[in-house]
Amino acid sequence: MAAIELEELTKDYGEVVANDSVTFTVEHGEIFGFLGPNGAGKTTTIRLLLGFISPTSGTARVLGQDVREEGSLLEAKRRIGYLSDEPGFDEQRTGTDVLDLHASIKGDSRRDELLELFDPPVERQIREYSQGNARKLGIVTAFMHDPDLVILDEPTNGLDPLMRQRFADFLRAERQRGVTVFFSSHNLSEVRRLCDRVGIIRDGRLVTIEPVDALLRRSGKVIRIRSADPIPIDALDVEGVHDLETSVSDGHEGADPSTAFTECLFTFTGDINAVLERLADYELIDLAIEEAPLEDVFMRFYGGEDDV
Amino acid sequence: MFEITRYEGRNRLKGSVYLSAGMALLAALVIWVYPSFSDALGGDELLEAYPEEMLRLFRIETMASLEGFLAFELYTFGWIILLGLYVAYATAGVIADDVDRGRMDTLLAMPISRARLVAEKFAAISVPILIVNLLTPPVVLLGARLIDESLSVTDVLAVHLLSIPYLFACAGIGLLCSVAFDRVGIAQRVALGVTFALFLVESLLAETDYEELGAVAPMRYYDPNEILLEGTYDLVGVVVLVAMTVALLGVSQLVFRRSDL
Repeated sequence: MAAIELEELTKDYGEVVANDSVTFTVEHGEIFGFLGPNGAGKTTTIRLLLGFISPTSGTARVLGQDVREEGSLLEAKRRIGYLSDEPGFDEQRTGTDVLDLHASIKGDSRRDELLELFDPPVERQIREYSQGNARKLGIVTAFMHDPDLVILDEPTNGLDPLMRQRFADFLRAERQRGVTVFFSSHNLSEVRRLCDRVGIIRDGRLVTIEPVDALLRRSGKVIRIRSADPIPIDALDVEGVHDLETSVSDGHEGADPSTAFTECLFTFTGDINAVLERLADYELIDLAIEEAPLEDVFMRFYGGEDDV
Repeated sequence: MFEITRYEGRNRLKGSVYLSAGMALLAALVIWVYPSFSDALGGDELLEAYPEEMLRLFRIETMASLEGFLAFELYTFGWIILLGLYVAYATAGVIADDVDRGRMDTLLAMPISRARLVAEKFAAISVPILIVNLLTPPVVLLGARLIDESLSVTDVLAVHLLSIPYLFACAGIGLLCSVAFDRVGIAQRVALGVTFALFLVESLLAETDYEELGAVAPMRYYDPNEILLEGTYDLVGVVVLVAMTVALLGVSQLVFRRSDL
């Protein structure tokens, strides 16, 4: 039994289909990143999983319990931690009051440990909290009852870099303890650092789902070339070259920039040997092959249709 | 059980004490003006100058006794109208405000059913209802003694005790609005509007052909005049009010269980 299973989960609001037949599985003990820009449907999926909204069609199970059955979902919720994208707490109460309420309903075996780690100002009223402090308090409420599954909606929004790092380390340690983490994000470097697998959602539809390293491999490399003499652009007519940008540097006035280059930059998703073979006859000054930034990978899924 | 009630009840404590102090002050004021009022008019002469509709609206039966004066100035105006509107308004916020401000997700992520959440939040409205009815009777009884008027202690306690189911029924109207509308401003305005409309229907349609319409209004089942002037307590009315409250709570739970948040 997987930690989370979605089967053609659909939420149709009439004018917009927020989740369109979304199907995927999150295994026990993995960190699963749910990626997409704002408005893609990430929060809708999370709110369906927690029973805040009911699906138009399809179903989902969390920790084996059907999200459409309130009673069975309640059983699962004892072992689930949740952090909302905008955690809301009573303005006039203190952090301690909020934690006491949560403790009385679901337990707080890890409260002290978490307070030491994330240190929200619990003695103060929530109305005085910054966004970061509210998030820290939210993290404590999500983990205080030692859940088996945590569902986090944009968990690092508003956290400073130091806290982000601490939170990332904490999540990795949780995975070591066997906790399953499902989190949504549009922060790509974070996803890359943390996740085992990534699902990408766009306009309510799941675009792809794969391990992070496979995603990076498939997304290709960025190649930068500088040559001593002009190279015909035709030389780069190789399968897998995208977004080619070429230019001719000073001192090569004879070369036609529309047919030749001395400097170029492109994204490459084919066999690297094919490119090196084509370049073997030319004298290069510099050649750099780098992993494509995840932002570019992302653009491939969200940019034009042609590259997907 | 009752974790949410305790928590929400504490939220209401401070406001309830202020509210009760205000109502106690109103009680003191009404009793303080009574002697000069009754000296100046010496009976119900003033009432004859009022149009019949006016008397019916405010349920004025007599001003010739402190009981009659209190029934109208304090209990009809203060309890039936002001407090009735207040609890309807306050209860209209209990669910809608949490939904509006994003607190509902945090609450419902905990292992607590929606029906229980609604019931526990509703139960917390008992804090202002009880405190105001505990604080005011001593002020009324002491005030009456200070102006040398006799008041039946039992009747005064009864008029407060019997107002409790009435106020819960008004709170039930607010609760239903709270689950029916996800914007707190709208929920509260509708709750105020409906409660006041019910009051008008019951008061203005009494003794007309449309009198039966008032049967749905909680105001029909709580009559301070009857309690204070005649010393009779409408226990059937109490049962009706309790039934109304239970029904409104049940429907609210049903609506909330089915709604998308």
